[in-house]
Amino acid sequence: MKRRVVNSSVMASLSGVVVVLLLMLASVPKTSAIPAFSRKYQTSCTTCHNNYPELNDFGEVFKKNGFKFPKDDETFVKEPPVLLGAKAQKEAFPGAVYPGEIPGFLPIAFRYSGNFNWNTKRPEPLQATAFTPETDLFVPNTFTIISAGSFGENLAFWIDNDISTGGTGAGGGLGDGYLRYNDIGHAFGLPKNAFNVRFGQFELDLPFTQARSIYPSAYDVFSETAVAQGPTCGGAVTVCQTTQNPFILGTPQRGIEFGGYPNNGNFTWSVAVVDGTNSAYGLGPALTARNTKDVYIRVSQRFNLERDPESRNAIQAAGPTGPRDHTSIRLGAFYYHGQNQLNYGSTQYTFLGTIGEPFYRAGGDLRFKYRKMELFGAGMVGHDNNHTVDTIAQTIVPARAVTYTGGFAGTNFWIYPWLITYMRYDFVNSPTDFANGVSEYRTRNRYSPGFQVLVRANIKVIGEYQYHWGQPYTDPTTGNTLFFRPNSFVSGIDYVF
Amino acid sequence: MSLSRVAVKAALAASITLALAGASSANEIKGKVSVQGIKSAENIAVYVDVIADKKFDAPSEHVVIDQRKMAFLPHVVAVQQGTTVDFLNSDPVGHNVYWPSISGNKKLSHNLGTWPKGDKKPFQFNDLGVASLLCNVHPEMSGYVVVVPTPYSAVTDKDGNFDIKNIPAGKYTLKTWSEDGKPTTQAVDVSAASTSVELMVKK
Repeated sequence: MKRRVVNSSVMASLSGVVVVLLLMLASVPKTSAIPAFSRKYQTSCTTCHNNYPELNDFGEVFKKNGFKFPKDDETFVKEPPVLLGAKAQKEAFPGAVYPGEIPGFLPIAFRYSGNFNWNTKRPEPLQATAFTPETDLFVPNTFTIISAGSFGENLAFWIDNDISTGGTGAGGGLGDGYLRYNDIGHAFGLPKNAFNVRFGQFELDLPFTQARSIYPSAYDVFSETAVAQGPTCGGAVTVCQTTQNPFILGTPQRGIEFGGYPNNGNFTWSVAVVDGTNSAYGLGPALTARNTKDVYIRVSQRFNLERDPESRNAIQAAGPTGPRDHTSIRLGAFYYHGQNQLNYGSTQYTFLGTIGEPFYRAGGDLRFKYRKMELFGAGMVGHDNNHTVDTIAQTIVPARAVTYTGGFAGTNFWIYPWLITYMRYDFVNSPTDFANGVSEYRTRNRYSPGFQVLVRANIKVIGEYQYHWGQPYTDPTTGNTLFFRPNSFVSGIDYVF
Repeated sequence: MSLSRVAVKAALAASITLALAGASSANEIKGKVSVQGIKSAENIAVYVDVIADKKFDAPSEHVVIDQRKMAFLPHVVAVQQGTTVDFLNSDPVGHNVYWPSISGNKKLSHNLGTWPKGDKKPFQFNDLGVASLLCNVHPEMSGYVVVVPTPYSAVTDKDGNFDIKNIPAGKYTLKTWSEDGKPTTQAVDVSAASTSVELMVKK
């Protein structure tokens, strides 16, 4: 039987969204609300963003340059910094504290997002155990404080913290909090920005940012964890597999990252050494600290396809109606290696010590930009060493590894500079998840068409429909396993100032 | 009367005539624009409106508008119809110059594209009206080209003062254009070497 995917509640909500949009677009009040960098340079968000928080070519260069204009930054700053020492103090060093600077104003920005949710009606047996309302207003509510800027020529900082006011994202917490030293390679005679370092807590150098994505939904494969097939040992279960790795690639990690952007930023590389414990970011459980450290490596090469050499070498390409992003293809690869550790203090298996299970995540990515269109995609494989424990025989032997593959592909299209549509496809193929009854089929597919409207440069209205994979539930009458699709529609507001 | 005395008198009369003729074309209108309900009296264009039976050739000298530190400089220029304006880019970032209309006429919209630092692009303004200059990537940038019918125009300084030079004696209609205020019109009689005018621009 066909299900009506879009019902009258959704139509009423869509109508409401359209009315609000028309009202907001029709009125043109002057606004003085601008985030930290806008204030510093007295410039619009669109200087760096083509759909905030996504960066355009200029914004990417600005970020890589330590949140400064790539050329003649001082001439563009409208809010001069406070000098913590005259420049001549450099000569007096080490007899004096090396001079630095802090922003002349408090570089703080705020962001709020709140969404209306429509969810497919859940089967009654599921509602009995985990109730999900069909409609939910402004969930999750997220209020974020962001502070970022530079402490002079080479030092840059970024701090963001989600303070949710309610809903499932109420965990909140520190996202990124780091200090970066740019162009440390200059001391070794390397080209500008070929070798930088940052330390603190930060999202890994992922091919597509999860923390600053424009989409209301996460990339499924970046949120995937590794769980072995079958129940854990206990009670009647005396033989079980061990892998229970809650590591999530998309959560911020704590550590040190070395990286660089030589060749005009067309080539990027990074190597990060991290704790491997997810931050308490609401996307996954926090891991206890472990003695081992994980390593993440990423490289990417952008091929600039602009024909005009002058345009190719400029930060932005020269278009007939103004500067625009370069036509380009970016190819990249990434690899994460870590070691999950279980059974600390022999609490789970008293006859065993700490169990170390190396794991890796590896993948490749592509992004193609052409005029108003962007095509992107990433593929990834996950592999966790696994063991079989027999609590009766008190033995542990290697078992078949827990593996999965997955990825996503999508396209964004700017109909107008303020109207963006997109379509994204996510998939995760996890044999153990399937065996554990997570999904109807081995491959979990999700289709997410959506739109975003920049009502102003700092305010947007979003909408995304998610067509989900089938999830199982048990019919209480027959005991049979049935499936339903928890489809949903999300629409809401997002503004920064 | 002797011939020499006649010659001297004629020479004296000619000199006076020449002096008067020179003085009549060296007149100026000096004035001050006061504002009501507007933040500043700066950057208000003041110009002499159409003069009956008088045509003016397009000036050969170009006017320059620069893009520097993410701003159009000067913010407002008043140019005679037919003037060529050179748009210079002095910034190390990409800019472009376009206007969506000239005094609301969208058929006169134009986009000059993008050019690198140090280069300039000319455009001849042949249509009367006001072109609102914009930049595609830096929407906060704003400038104005006020295209007027005569060569007699000026833009006020930060105190609202203006000075229109080299205007012949005569009766004219003085007009103003302001970014935030309503246009004003005032008759002016230029009879002396310097004529003073007080104007009021309201929101």
